[in-house]
Amino acid sequence: MSWRRALSLHAGALAAVLCLAAPTADAQNPAGPIANPFEGRADVIDEGRSLFNQYCAHCHGTNAHQGERPRDLRRLKLRYGSQAPRIFYEAVSNGRLEKGMPVWKSVLGEDMLWRIFTFLETVQTPP
Amino acid sequence: MTHVQRTLAASVLSAALILAASSAWAQSGSGWLMYGGDYANTRYSSLNQIDTSNVGRLRVAWMRSLGTLESQEATPIVVGDMMYVSTSTGPRYVFAFNAKDGAVKWKYEPELPTDFAATVCCGLDSRGVAYANGKVFVTRLDAKMVALDANTGKELWSVTVVDYKVGHAITSPPVVYKNLVVTGYAGGEYGVRGAVQAYNQNTGELVWKTYTIPAAGEPGNDTWKGDAWKTGGGSTWYVGSYDPTLNLLYWGTSNAGPWGGHTRSTDSSQYGQYTNLHTASQLAFDGDTGKLVWAYQMTPADVWDYDAVNEAVLADLNLGGQTTPALMKADRNGFFYVLNRQNGRLLSAEPFVHVNWAKGIDTATGRPVEDPEKRPQLDRWARNVCPNLFGGKNWEPMSYSQQTGLVYIPTFNLCMDIAGKNEAYNPGKFYLASEFDLDKADSGGFLSELKAWDPVKRAAVWGIKEDLPFMGGVMSTAGGLVFYGNQRGELKAVDAKTGRVLWTFNVGTGILQSPTTYMIDGRQYVAVVAGRVKGPPSFLGKIGQKVIDASPEGGLVVVFELAN
Repeated sequence: MSWRRALSLHAGALAAVLCLAAPTADAQNPAGPIANPFEGRADVIDEGRSLFNQYCAHCHGTNAHQGERPRDLRRLKLRYGSQAPRIFYEAVSNGRLEKGMPVWKSVLGEDMLWRIFTFLETVQTPP
Repeated sequence: MTHVQRTLAASVLSAALILAASSAWAQSGSGWLMYGGDYANTRYSSLNQIDTSNVGRLRVAWMRSLGTLESQEATPIVVGDMMYVSTSTGPRYVFAFNAKDGAVKWKYEPELPTDFAATVCCGLDSRGVAYANGKVFVTRLDAKMVALDANTGKELWSVTVVDYKVGHAITSPPVVYKNLVVTGYAGGEYGVRGAVQAYNQNTGELVWKTYTIPAAGEPGNDTWKGDAWKTGGGSTWYVGSYDPTLNLLYWGTSNAGPWGGHTRSTDSSQYGQYTNLHTASQLAFDGDTGKLVWAYQMTPADVWDYDAVNEAVLADLNLGGQTTPALMKADRNGFFYVLNRQNGRLLSAEPFVHVNWAKGIDTATGRPVEDPEKRPQLDRWARNVCPNLFGGKNWEPMSYSQQTGLVYIPTFNLCMDIAGKNEAYNPGKFYLASEFDLDKADSGGFLSELKAWDPVKRAAVWGIKEDLPFMGGVMSTAGGLVFYGNQRGELKAVDAKTGRVLWTFNVGTGILQSPTTYMIDGRQYVAVVAGRVKGPPSFLGKIGQKVIDASPEGGLVVVFELAN
C-alpha cells in the first residue's frame, strides 16, 4: 500500500488527529491531510538525495545510512506507517529541540522538504 | 580537611604547578592536574610503577556510572586524592570522586535550558573540567562557564561566555594560569566568529577577549571577501596550551565558515589575498593581555573543514644540534607541523598520513602546494580527497613521551568527496554551504592507526592499525608504556618502543578519550572514561554504522591498579 493510499483511506481519522496534534501544520494545509506532492516522482530523487546530504546527513547519515536507530530515517515507514509524511513534515518544520533537531522551517521550504522526503521514500527499510 | 589544610594543599599544588611548568615539558607529577596532563599538553606521566614488565597484572580497582549515554570525552583530572569528571549531555553532571576508591564526594548538576542540543554540531560532549586554587571550572553546551568550590561542589559564580542560541557551545575545559581562567568556544558550523576569552578566577569578571578574525579596519580583515568575516568561523572549540616562561597562550582555530569557500574567497587555489585570517591557524597570545603575538595559518582559504584546533604540544626538541622551543601539531590537514613556539616560524611540516590535497608545504612561504583538482568549488565536486574532513587526526589527543622522544598519534585513514553549494546564513542553523560524502575508506584495509612519530627525524617509527575510525586519545608514561582505547571498548597498553600490545581489557563501551594516571599512597592507578562516540559517525554513512554497531553507548569511569 502506498503512503498516499493509506493517507486517503484514513483521511477522516487523520484530519481529526491533525486538528488536535498539529494545528500549525494543519493551518498550512487547509485543503486536507499532509501529503508528499512529489510522491512517485523519480525525477526529484537525486536532488532530494543531494539536499539530504547537504542539510541532514551530519546527523542522519550520508545517504541516510545511520546506525543510531532513533535517528535512522530509513525506518520512518516501519515506525510510523501511513503517518510518516505528517510526522516528517512536523519534525522538520517545527523541530524537536530537546532531542537536538532544529527548527528547519526558515531554511528548508516546503518544496525542499518534500524533495528530501521523496528521496527517503526510496531507501525505506522493508518491514 | 580543615581550612588551613586546604590552603596548604592549594599552596603546595600551586608550587607544583609552577615547578612542573618551568621544565621544558611540564609534567603532571603524581596527579593529573589538567586536561593534557600539563600546560604543554604532552599527556606524558613520569610515573613508572606500572611498566612493561607488570602491566599484564592490571585489574579493575573501582568503577562508576556517569549517568549519561552521549559520547563521553572527559579527561578525569586528579588533584590530591580527588578526581573530577564531567559527563556528556551538558554536562549533565560533574562528579568529585575519591580517586582511591570512587566514593562520591559531591555531584554538581547544572540547570540547562531544554533546547541547547539543537545548536551543538557534533555530539553532546564535555571534555572535562579545570582546577585552580580550590576551584573547579566547568564549561557548558549552553556556552556558560561556572566556578565551583572544589571541596563542596557549590557554585561560586556563573557567566554567559556567548549566546548558545546562535550556535555557540563550549565543549572543552578552560586553561587556568595566574589568576585567569581562559576559554574558547565552538560554532564553526554555525557561522560564528571565534574568540578566546579570559576571566578572573575569583570573580568571573571578563579580563580580555580577542577575536580570531580581525574586524573591519583591523589588519588582516582584507583577507575576507566583503562581510564574510562576520560569519567566518575560526572558532576555538578545543584546548589551549601555555608556556609560563614565554607567558604565551597557544590556541588553534577552526575551519573557515561556511565550508563552501565561494562565500568568502576566490573559490580557487589562486586565493590571492583572500586567505581568511585567522581561520585554520595556530595562534599565540600574550598571557596577560590576550594580544595576538604571532599567527601561523595551516590551511589558507580552507574548504575541507581542516580545523587547526588540534592540541599544540610544547617540547624543547634537539633540532640540528640546537635545543629549540618547539610547538608540535598533528593537523587535521594531514601535516605534522613543528613550529618555533617563540615566534611561530615553520621548522618542518611532513605528512603523517596519506595526503593528496596538497603535494607538500612550501617551507619558504609556509603554505600548502595544492592540487587544484582536490579543492571543491561551487557545484564542482572534488573526488577522493585525503584525508577527509575528520582529518589525519581529530581532537582525540596525541601524547609526547619525554622518555622515547616520540609522539603517539591517533590517526584516521579516510577520504571524501566534497562540493560547494549555495546556502543562506540563518542564525542558529547549520551553515555549511557544502555537500559531502565521507563514506570512503583510504587504501590499506584499515580505518585508523596509532602512529609512533619521530618529530625530529620526521618519520613514523611503528603503527598499530585498527579496523574502525575514532580510535581514542593517547597517554604515555615513564613505565615505557602507551595507553589508548577504541570503539569496541578495548583499552590497550602498548610497549612505547616497539608497538607490541602488552595488555587489553574491554570496558564494554567505546573509548574516545585518553586514559590518565596518578599515584596515591604509593600506588599507581590508571583511569579511563568510556562511552562510545554517538554523533560524528553520522557523517560517515555505512562506515559510521559499523562504529555504532561496535559497542553500545555508555558512560563509565574505570580505574585500574596492579594486582597484589
